[in-house]
Amino acid sequence: MEKIRIFVDSSDELGGQQYKYIAEKSVEDLGLSGSIDSIDMLIRVEEPLFVIVIRYKEVTGKSTLGDASYIDSRKNGIRITLSSEIYLGDALKALWSKYGRDRVEQIGRLEIFVSGADPEEVKGIRLSEKGYDLESRINELATRIIPEGFRVRSSTKNKGMITIIASEDPIKEDWRALARRLEGDAHA
Amino acid sequence: MLKYLLFEGGLYKHERILEFLEDVGGFLVQKTVVGLDLIMNLAVPEEEHERLSAIVSELKGKLTPAPLIGTEIGVVAPTLSRHHLPHPACDIAENLRRHGAKTNIIGLSRGVGQKIVHTTIKEKELIEEHDIAVFTLGNFEKCLLKKIKLFSEIEVPVIVTGGPVMKGIPGAEAYVGGIGRYPERARTGESIEKLREVSRVAGEVVEQRRREMDLDPLIVDPIVVKAEIERQVPESTEALSPNPVTLKIDGVRVKLPYDDYKDKIGNISIGGKKLSEFAVIKRSLMRNYILVKVLPKSMF
Repeated sequence: MEKIRIFVDSSDELGGQQYKYIAEKSVEDLGLSGSIDSIDMLIRVEEPLFVIVIRYKEVTGKSTLGDASYIDSRKNGIRITLSSEIYLGDALKALWSKYGRDRVEQIGRLEIFVSGADPEEVKGIRLSEKGYDLESRINELATRIIPEGFRVRSSTKNKGMITIIASEDPIKEDWRALARRLEGDAHA
Repeated sequence: MLKYLLFEGGLYKHERILEFLEDVGGFLVQKTVVGLDLIMNLAVPEEEHERLSAIVSELKGKLTPAPLIGTEIGVVAPTLSRHHLPHPACDIAENLRRHGAKTNIIGLSRGVGQKIVHTTIKEKELIEEHDIAVFTLGNFEKCLLKKIKLFSEIEVPVIVTGGPVMKGIPGAEAYVGGIGRYPERARTGESIEKLREVSRVAGEVVEQRRREMDLDPLIVDPIVVKAEIERQVPESTEALSPNPVTLKIDGVRVKLPYDDYKDKIGNISIGGKKLSEFAVIKRSLMRNYILVKVLPKSMF
């Protein structure tokens, strides 16, 4: 897996380093390491200003297990090979509720074995009601990283990129310019 | 003066320690049995420490000084959100408990931001119910210095933890750097060492407070009050809250409803006097518990 590029430009160097660590761990906690390309942060405590730019891989949500995996029949059941790890949690949850924990076994990082199931039936199982909602998890990530006191926020979204400017004061125009420059850096 | 010690050892023959405590006028503050292991928080008169050590070494146990025994510490996080809890506030609280303290975690309503930050009167009173308060702040030096107003008016000793390495912070008794906001459990040796430092500093602050109180001692040592409450109001030991009669430096917290038990607690007789005659008994802001504050000798 590619390593996520995390860049911090902070007026308080030690605090900035700590935020790099917070970002790394929050990505890990939310299980987003496969979906994020880079995180750029600009921190000016004295203003106070916190800008975060997250670039991520856009995935179109798959709604059924058939779309999100390859299914083949075995002797006593079926083997499901998921196309991405991000579906694993939802897939297990859906299979457990339909077949029970005894019949569902995770045999590898992406493989699940279901004993005595019918492939056609499994293909139709819905992963979740809404499909895979990456964006809300990216938003959650940004909220977890941004210090809580920075409550005035302005966010912009482009294709595969979200920018949030956070402060305690109304957002100034030159902060927006700074954020745009940071977005440019994130492209590089 | 009583010396507070933590005993770690086996259950086998531990009654010898209890008998010794009874003989010399010491106290058992808390006893925790885990399988065949035993952890006891003890208080013994200072001059009996060596004799107790001899018994403990015979029983192959371990005795460590733990000044935090008999203290109730409030660990104050800026808010109750994911940003500040469970790490580092719970890590710090856990380490304090390992050193004998009883801890409560408090989340402020507006402990964040450089401008909106403040402590409400109710929060201040709640924090002041504790013997000392530990404020867990964030990573930026400038932010920390603007958050001084959170604790500058609090009357109990305050220890502040934060990310930047500084010698101290105005308005607080002590500052421990290197523990700012962090998002996972403290697992590395370095971070656990920092937690220990908080406990060590808290120990120093408590000892200092006890030494100061020795100049004008309390009429009755709170540990005697605790023992008498447990003896004369047996319901207090049956309450389901952890540590139902919590020992504090200048009193006790009884975890029984104030309205139902205030008179019973006030009528407890110690040395021929009623508790209410030499202690202030009031309602705690924490769940209607009863707070007993023993008055110093100079008040009479």
